[in-house]
Amino acid sequence: MYRQGDVLIVPVEEDALPEHVTGRPGLPRDARGRLVLAQGEVTGHAHAVVGPGKLVRESGPFGPTLLHLPDGGRVVHEEHAAIPLPRGWYRVVRQREYVPGAVRIVAD
Amino acid sequence: MGAVEELGRWRRVAARTGPADRAEAETGVRWAYRAAGLAEPERIVWAGSPRGAVTAVTAMKEAGEEVGRSVRREVRTLPWAAERERLHRLLGPAGWSEHWARTAAPLWETTRSLVERVRTGVVEEVVASSGQGHAVRSILLDAVFGQHDAPWLFALGAGGGDGTGPLDGLAAVARAAGWWWPYEKVAVVAERPLELHRDEAGRLDRSDGPALAFPDGFALHAWKGMPVPADFLAELGSLTPERIRAEENAELRRVMLEHHGYDRYLTESGARPVHRDSTGVLWRIDLEDDEPVVAVEVVNSTPEPDGTYRTYWLRVPPTTRTAREGVAWTFGLHPDAYEPMVQS
Repeated sequence: MYRQGDVLIVPVEEDALPEHVTGRPGLPRDARGRLVLAQGEVTGHAHAVVGPGKLVRESGPFGPTLLHLPDGGRVVHEEHAAIPLPRGWYRVVRQREYVPGAVRIVAD
Repeated sequence: MGAVEELGRWRRVAARTGPADRAEAETGVRWAYRAAGLAEPERIVWAGSPRGAVTAVTAMKEAGEEVGRSVRREVRTLPWAAERERLHRLLGPAGWSEHWARTAAPLWETTRSLVERVRTGVVEEVVASSGQGHAVRSILLDAVFGQHDAPWLFALGAGGGDGTGPLDGLAAVARAAGWWWPYEKVAVVAERPLELHRDEAGRLDRSDGPALAFPDGFALHAWKGMPVPADFLAELGSLTPERIRAEENAELRRVMLEHHGYDRYLTESGARPVHRDSTGVLWRIDLEDDEPVVAVEVVNSTPEPDGTYRTYWLRVPPTTRTAREGVAWTFGLHPDAYEPMVQS
């Protein structure tokens, strides 16, 4: 598993994933052709992957987001060092913070 | 236009500040009435904010002016439902949910919560000055959200039309103005905010003034999404641990702690870390009449441009015993499962 700031990228066995999830069409890439795992609302700084692959939104237990890198790839961010990832499927988890009575997403 | 450019365009519509383009908005209003098969409104009245619009509608009704019944259903609800139905049939339930994820979903949460905050703010202010809670809420139910309808309009493929499409009018007003109220004889249209300050997660957030401010003075103050009184912000610059401990409102005390800085508070109060391991440090602050603040101190693995490493603090559930348990919780993992190989 890999951590880049407030995003954790956890490898998932492809066999463990149902076909309706792996076969789903990917989310659109951003204007620079990247797969955006998470993006800041104000700075627009993003945890993103360049190169082939797809990003799937998944509401079930494998979600909220899955990343498939058939040839491996690199996660980049404006304020963090890039992290190389081997080929495979990953679950992308955004960091959260405890708030009495609620839980909120962290953004860096 | 590509899906990504389109998303960017609607994101800008939803967050746009500054004076409305009144001519374009009024054209949009007329288009929307025509598309609904209604006669155009006799008058279009402008207000400085949603609060201003609610006050204007109330005043018109009280003065016995004939505004007519609300035509929100014809103007917004029905064409909207028809387009959604059409897309549903075209894409199927799974296809529609994919489509929603690609279009409205990225804008939905932040816009919806903004609408909710404005609505609450309007009710609070108008009720405080006039005591007419029921009447205010009922007028707010007649609102069309203009720029804040952006997620739905995007999902429904609205916009760019010449007035002949069923949603062209709604999209034109969304691009040009804020909330609006369609009545049979009169349409009341509100200006957009002049100021909108949000944090990276899209929550209202400003420590030196209103996070949302309209030209007529209607404003909301918030710190990282949490509503705070206007005068509360002025005090944030001069906090002491004693003052923080003395604050009786738990939510405001939390804002004070965050603004003051957990680290500074801990140092000034002479606190000691509860636990330390390779993932970070666990701190605990006991508070009277409130659950303790338990937080993990985590260090960014990528150095800042000056070579130092940025430390940040994340609050975790009060039952947390170890730093690893706390950090794992922030990612929804069991402590044993949290083992990053690479961090940056």
